[in-house]
Amino acid sequence: MQLVLQTLVDGLVLGGLYSLAAIGFSLIFGVMNVVNLSHGVIVLIGAYLSYFFWQTLGVDPLLSIPPVMAVLFCLGYVYQRGLIQLAVDRSSLVASMLVTFGVALMLRNLLVLIFSPDFKSITPSWAFTFFVIGPVTVDLVRISALCASLVLLSLLALALHRTGIGRVIRATAQQDLAARLCGVDVRHVYGLTFGMSAAFAGASGAILGIVMPFSPPDEVHWTINAFVVVTLGGVGSPSGALLGGLLLGVISTATSQAIGPAFPNVMMFLILVVMLLVRPAGLLGNAFSGSR
Amino acid sequence: MSEPILAVAGLTKRFRGVVAVNDVSIAVPEGSICSLIGPNGAGKSSFFNLVTGYLPPSAGEIRFQGRRIDGLDTHRIAQLGIARCFQIAKPFPELSVLDNVRMGALFGRAGARDVETETAAALALAGLSDLADRPAISLTVGYLRRLELARAIAQRPLLLLADEPCAGLNPTETEEVVDILRQVRQRGVTVLLVEHDMRAVMRVSDHIFVLDAGSKIAEGEPDRIARDPRVIAAYLGTPEPAGPA
Amino acid sequence: MLAQGIRSHRRWIVLALIALVALALAPVFLAPFHIRVAQLFLFSAALAVAWTILGGFAGYWSFGHTAFIGLGAFVAALVETSFQIKPAGLNFVVGMLAGTGACAVLAALLAYPILRLRGIYFAIAMLGVSQVLGELNNNVDAFKGSLGIVLPQIAPAHVEPQAFYYYLFLIAGVLTLGAAFAVKVTRLGHGLLAIREDEDTARMLGVPTERYKTAAFVLSAVLTGMLGIIYAHALGYITSGSVYRTDFSLNVMVYALLGGIGTLAGPILGAGIMVVLTQMVLGRLLDTHMFVTGALLVAIVMLAPRGILGYVAPLLRWRKDGASP
Repeated sequence: MQLVLQTLVDGLVLGGLYSLAAIGFSLIFGVMNVVNLSHGVIVLIGAYLSYFFWQTLGVDPLLSIPPVMAVLFCLGYVYQRGLIQLAVDRSSLVASMLVTFGVALMLRNLLVLIFSPDFKSITPSWAFTFFVIGPVTVDLVRISALCASLVLLSLLALALHRTGIGRVIRATAQQDLAARLCGVDVRHVYGLTFGMSAAFAGASGAILGIVMPFSPPDEVHWTINAFVVVTLGGVGSPSGALLGGLLLGVISTATSQAIGPAFPNVMMFLILVVMLLVRPAGLLGNAFSGSR
Repeated sequence: MSEPILAVAGLTKRFRGVVAVNDVSIAVPEGSICSLIGPNGAGKSSFFNLVTGYLPPSAGEIRFQGRRIDGLDTHRIAQLGIARCFQIAKPFPELSVLDNVRMGALFGRAGARDVETETAAALALAGLSDLADRPAISLTVGYLRRLELARAIAQRPLLLLADEPCAGLNPTETEEVVDILRQVRQRGVTVLLVEHDMRAVMRVSDHIFVLDAGSKIAEGEPDRIARDPRVIAAYLGTPEPAGPA
Repeated sequence: MLAQGIRSHRRWIVLALIALVALALAPVFLAPFHIRVAQLFLFSAALAVAWTILGGFAGYWSFGHTAFIGLGAFVAALVETSFQIKPAGLNFVVGMLAGTGACAVLAALLAYPILRLRGIYFAIAMLGVSQVLGELNNNVDAFKGSLGIVLPQIAPAHVEPQAFYYYLFLIAGVLTLGAAFAVKVTRLGHGLLAIREDEDTARMLGVPTERYKTAAFVLSAVLTGMLGIIYAHALGYITSGSVYRTDFSLNVMVYALLGGIGTLAGPILGAGIMVVLTQMVLGRLLDTHMFVTGALLVAIVMLAPRGILGYVAPLLRWRKDGASP
């Protein structure tokens, strides 16, 4: 019983992080149909930025979230307007996916060159505080990670539903042509969406840095995690990402507990493939109507 | 008249409670040109989708040359000899006009054939021989419609389902399409036409079926249909003029 | 149709035969290092051609073709080391049959569910399949993926192994290219092209889309498996990490894109350029290898979405006889 509870709590903490890391991927996918294979590396750039602030300036990783988000918002906007949009205009969506893959390789290589291929971790002074609540042990790091994830996701949900730009983004996602006819500068909206996506990816990177060690090759896992979360929960919405992320977190923690620590990845990909086959229409909307 | 090439009995299609096609029975005589008309939303396109196997029927049966074809896969139905051309032309965009039509000759109705001869004949019939090397995407709407027809003809069908081949065309172009359909019939192909251009329908059809709100409300020869009060009532209130009626 | 296809592509075939003679004589003149580069070129080009049968012809971009390299290699290695049939040549043939057979079975089983997915969904599902297989292979002890398997030596004692595997790759490459060419010029190839252009319309024209896609998938998987098995023998010792490699899956797409997607000459040309570039020019730049690959990928898609042949072929005006590369 205690084991089950502990697994559940650990899974939820991990799931909160997965949700936050996936929401940006989900937004881009939902709004502009682009599969951003460089999403994982953006998450890691967030982690390395936070690491950099902590190492050189001694900034607490949680406090580094706002500047990390600001930097990545700008990079994301430029990335979309300067490259992704051109790729989409020029050739197919599959080709634009290859462009993002190429960028992922380049950025990963840069991270290795700058920060070395070794694992890094961020350990603020409060990293070793923990609580015992009934039968369950939780450390402060994990609690703050989960809380930060939930707060950020709620903020995003509010922004999407209560602000003008949020409404424009949602309208563009549903009908870009109609939005354009209503006078929306669709490209600017895409840029803003990409900026937000990168900002939230960066925030999740800062948080992941205090929860677990990270190294450049991990970017692949964060991209695939995002895809699985979206496939599980549904595309384009913070609630979908939250649902998918929490499910994935619990499932992978439970798998590693029940079958073996080597198997969460196998389980994750199995779920990915099975979900694509069983519920693509229900959760992803248009898996069968083609995207070419 | 001989045995009908296409016989549909009690055909029904429901989409989540909406009945798109309701208990429709029609018989298309071999070698004829028949038309399926009706106001927008009458169920004409759904009917074509059912006959070509693109959608499974909710009830009823479809016989082609006496053989049940409902439930067969789309490509099987095409191999039996039913070809369809779309209102919104769907060419293979990156292929040339020639390659598009050749694709119809390569596949289409099963059986031995001379691909190059069939292709050339279909191109000539549709008046596209001079444009054979042009990429399909470079064609205008009128020529795209002909390409659609040429590709369907190259399939060597026994029955051609033509979905609004004259929509959006000017009178000259409409005339040319009607002419192509007549030549197709002369080659022994039965034609079932969905069309809004009543003048074209009245001139070319041997027999007309009228659908309204998913049900067949009338059928008969063109001049009888033109005078049928139920048909006139069905078209009243729509912006579409009911032709010479 | 095959005869007609051969006639209309005769210039390309003559070119291919000249290249074949040159490649067959090459080991006599080349230094060992260059033989290794040439071997890698043959392997890469053949992989890209095998991928093209599904990805280039039918437009179903597999992001996980390394699944078949890994599966073929490990099934063959496990069979050959368990049974150890004499002589070594027969053992290799049995391993080859088992490995490619496993690839065929996997592709046929996957075909029904996975080939219904289109575009990126198919791409990602294949990536998922390759990752599941790779991880299972690595983590289930019976498959010896993490421990590794030493493959039996199949090069005869008096033959230099380097040259032996070179010729083995050459034979496999010719087989792969021949099979892909036969697909391209027959009904199957035209049907796949129709599927790539517009699958619904293709079905409406009478193309048996499910059957054709499955045939292309299985053939592509079997050829990829065959190449993986030879690669495994050339390595001599394999682990999951050395044959289930995402960069294999990626590279074949880079080759095809660089040369010209949907053609047969394109992937070969692309593989040639990339292998020479990465092995001979960038060989010393190990640190930035990935950066350069990524930059090239971006540059190709942005600057030459139709690949090099898309620019060169019209200049050659070979298309007059209706043949495409």
